[in-house]
Amino acid sequence: MSTNTTTMDFFAKNDKISNIWLILTLLISLFGVYGVFNVLINGHDVYGVTRTVPWGILISTYVFFVVSSTGLCLISSMGHVFGIEKYEVIGKRAVILAILTLLCGFGVIAMELGHPFRMAIYNIISPNFESAIWWMGTLYGVYLVFIIIEFYFLMKHNHKGAFYAGLGGFIAGISAHSNLGAVFGLLEARPFWHGPYLPIYFILSALISGTALIIIIFNISYGRPSNLPEKAKNALTGLSKLFGLFLGIIIFFDIWKIITSVYGAPPEKYESVMALLTGQLSFNFWFFEVMLGMLIPFFIILFTKGRNLTASLIAAISAVIGIFYMRYDLVIAGQLFPMREPAPGAHVQSALQNGMVTYSPSFSEISIVIGALGFCVFLYLLAEKYLNLSE
Amino acid sequence: MSENSRALKLAEDNQKLANKRKKAKEKWGIVLDTSKCIDCKACTVACKMENYVPVGFYNYRIWVAEDTHYAKYPVISRSFQPSQCQQCENPPCVHVCPTHASYKTADGVVMVDSKKCILCKYCMTACPYDARYESHTTEAIDKCTFCYQRREEGKDPACVETCPPKVRVFGDLNDPNSEVSRLLAYNEYTVLKPEKGTKPKLKYIK
Repeated sequence: MSTNTTTMDFFAKNDKISNIWLILTLLISLFGVYGVFNVLINGHDVYGVTRTVPWGILISTYVFFVVSSTGLCLISSMGHVFGIEKYEVIGKRAVILAILTLLCGFGVIAMELGHPFRMAIYNIISPNFESAIWWMGTLYGVYLVFIIIEFYFLMKHNHKGAFYAGLGGFIAGISAHSNLGAVFGLLEARPFWHGPYLPIYFILSALISGTALIIIIFNISYGRPSNLPEKAKNALTGLSKLFGLFLGIIIFFDIWKIITSVYGAPPEKYESVMALLTGQLSFNFWFFEVMLGMLIPFFIILFTKGRNLTASLIAAISAVIGIFYMRYDLVIAGQLFPMREPAPGAHVQSALQNGMVTYSPSFSEISIVIGALGFCVFLYLLAEKYLNLSE
Repeated sequence: MSENSRALKLAEDNQKLANKRKKAKEKWGIVLDTSKCIDCKACTVACKMENYVPVGFYNYRIWVAEDTHYAKYPVISRSFQPSQCQQCENPPCVHVCPTHASYKTADGVVMVDSKKCILCKYCMTACPYDARYESHTTEAIDKCTFCYQRREEGKDPACVETCPPKVRVFGDLNDPNSEVSRLLAYNEYTVLKPEKGTKPKLKYIK
């Protein structure tokens, strides 16, 4: 199976990627330096997180990155792991972006953690096997190793190697990602999150992020949909249909999540869902999550049957923007119902008149998020420009 | 010594003490009779002083919340609910901590080893009582320790000691002759959020 290749195969210049974009994305990522310096100098006080909402936009952005990474890995494994030939073409691009999104995710969470270096040490010498965060972090570490090896083999055209590394990445990715769902799902204290729903939902939404991102990056590599080679067109048409299917499933999931949280007003779940439907997160929810994230892309795919790749591209971009807000809403909504009634003397931080608490990201948090997103795009464009990612 | 280094030293000393008391047989708990509470907040002040809790409105280990279920005039009543970490027997914060920084001592007190804490704040989202906060002095999550430093001398925690109407009684729940056990035997009591299955060791007399 494997092969005689030279290092030349590793690199190839893609002139479709203009330097202007590289410089622009690098400038955007520099914006993040502000937040990073601010937090290093002034400590975590510069973040908007509170005693009642300890997890903010950095956590949700981390989730966004790793959901994307897992999705890219899962979707790409259809080709070189499960042998669906049509999808083999997506392998290299999907896996390199999976690596980059994961690394950017790690970067964001390192800014959120108070002691990232301590984590590296105590994760190993004092592990708590009962902790979902321990499993999630460790499995993502294993996953990163697998996908890096997988990428190396793909570049070397070593199909057997890519199969085994890809299989390892697939298993580690599913485990890690469902554990990320479990980080939230295991919290009895937070009824909106608690239960088996989130680990399952996370895998499903990873598939959506994965398909959407692949559709986007292929268009970036070739400039526009009409430039796509035949093989890539075939793969993307298939992916567009899958994309529509996954969107349909997630709409179904969301409908039932909402109904079960509203019906009979179950305590705490109800208040959290109402924060999404009519409360402080309602614009995020209806405009970004429902419209951009689900309905618009779903109907675009439904009416074009996935055959129009320009339409699919628009659907994919819309979905990715929506998904970013989906993560944010999920992380924040779960914490908006305070653990103690905000009575006088209870000192419930950032409590509102309606008995809920509130959170808004600080400028530093936002700058880190924008910086990380910009940097991720920059790294991808760099890889696209200088690595041989075509078959 | 600065406030910071005193807080750090206290945290470290408490870790050592917890190690030393690995074979302790007690199970500490507090029984509260909230009908006696006059909302003087002496407990909250004593706690801050005793444990070098950093200055700041939202840096606290203990609180006195007003019961907001007022009756309507002219039938009026007012009551308070002093509380803190429930020192759960089944503590969610300990389960979720990735590095064992949060742990339960042999005598059932939930503590944080500040050196192991990575500040992921998972324990804060897991705690159903909002009993934890991020401390600038120990650069870790901080919470009520039942004034663990006082266990050696057998003194009551600061909040218990200072309370003028004696709302709180501290003692060994394993000892059937202790005052806490007697109070629980003679009175009906409840715990906060029993449905969460945390089995709190703060018991509220009804």
